[in-house]
Amino acid sequence: MRKTADIVIIGGGISGCSTAYHLAKKGQKNIVVLEKRFICGGSTGACGAGVRMQWGTKMNCAFSKYSIEYYEHANETLGYEGDIEFKQSGYLLIADTDREIEQFKKNIVVQHEVGIPSRMVDLDEAKRIVPHLNTSVLKGAAYCEKDGFLNPFHTTDAFYRAAKRLGVEFEVPCTVTDIIVENGRVKAVVTDRGTVETDCVINCAGGFSKEISEMAGVDVPVYKERHQILVTEPVEPMQGPMVMSFGLNLYVQQSPHGSFIMGRSDSHEPRDGRVTSSWKFLEEMSKTIVNVLPPIAKLRIVRQWAGLYNMTPDRQPIYEKSDVVDGFYMAIGFSGHGFMFGPVTGAVMSEMVLGETPTIDASNLSLKRFERGEMVFEPSVV
Amino acid sequence: MRIDNHPILTFDRGEKVTIYYNGDPIPAYRGETIAAALHAAGIRVLGHSIELHRPRGFYCAIGNCSSCMMVVNGVPNVKTCITEVEDGMRVELQEGKGVIK
Repeated sequence: MRKTADIVIIGGGISGCSTAYHLAKKGQKNIVVLEKRFICGGSTGACGAGVRMQWGTKMNCAFSKYSIEYYEHANETLGYEGDIEFKQSGYLLIADTDREIEQFKKNIVVQHEVGIPSRMVDLDEAKRIVPHLNTSVLKGAAYCEKDGFLNPFHTTDAFYRAAKRLGVEFEVPCTVTDIIVENGRVKAVVTDRGTVETDCVINCAGGFSKEISEMAGVDVPVYKERHQILVTEPVEPMQGPMVMSFGLNLYVQQSPHGSFIMGRSDSHEPRDGRVTSSWKFLEEMSKTIVNVLPPIAKLRIVRQWAGLYNMTPDRQPIYEKSDVVDGFYMAIGFSGHGFMFGPVTGAVMSEMVLGETPTIDASNLSLKRFERGEMVFEPSVV
Repeated sequence: MRIDNHPILTFDRGEKVTIYYNGDPIPAYRGETIAAALHAAGIRVLGHSIELHRPRGFYCAIGNCSSCMMVVNGVPNVKTCITEVEDGMRVELQEGKGVIK
């Protein structure tokens, strides 16, 4: 492993790989990415793989629109020989209360300001879009045909390979054990495979971002929360869009392979970093999904897995240039939407680290928002 | 063929029934699986692989390998090696991953 680096990025998921690529693309040399398991081996590889523009805050709408437009051309932009498998088959957000319908209407006003082609759909149209939907339990829905899903492994691989071609070095597996800070400045990163001297560290460690920040002496209001997913056996294509409900607490997509991938959240999930699977999730997820999409009851469940959401108090990421430790940067706390913000993260962090004038305004997402009480609450998350 | 005489095991064969494989009548005995009845009738191909459409046959016989999944009474992806026959059952070769409604 190299002894010195201009920039050390901790974490080989979508955020770390995208940030490395964006920096290298702008001519930055001597970048090393440290990943403790394998590329895409953490939260990115465990995610639900969806990308949507149907958010409730203007900033999230703008970020996700940027990301989706990026993913539309990512195979070409990144010179990827494989395929990130981006399928824009839409997101159907379903609501079972009038209150949620009102929220959707408000969200759509915000979405239209940013140019997102979302719209309210009545139950008849929802049924045309997803024929096996049990509309008797619903009040209405919102739909955006440009939303979709893509393969997290291939997408991260695309950034990884493009970054590598531009000279970025990846150390895998490599566990960071300490960050040396002297006189308020980052000096070095200590790993199980040696020490790298550097004056710039970017924390993209996902579920382990708090531990990494603490190594540098920076306190961050994040915690990790287990989120579970299950996948069924495959059948022939029958569901185009991702179906999602905040009220009923579910999301489900039929992957290109034909299997149904679904998840829901639970505030009682453990916060100790375990990524095991539970009976409780299996039962609750199954009950929830067959109520809304009854034919799924006929499918066998193949397996379950789990990943870590890195949660912040307002469920929004932290993009931060530390004012406690010079040279310490963070792209953390994605609260479950780090994969879909991958391209934005790379663009924002590369501009921040290189001191460029920001082209994407992420100033509301610094750590200071928590001290000032200027949190950015997003109403539409599972 | 079926084993009629076995040095250790005895077979309490159930009542004779008829199942239909792609429309053709196949004799079967209550208590045996669909795949066993098909095998006894000389039918070795139970499906085709998804990508290359190669023939797939009786393999694990314990419901794990997915090699014997067929359409039974209109239901796709039935593991015929662990599903017992019923009189008049319609068993068909499945093309693709199956369609549910």
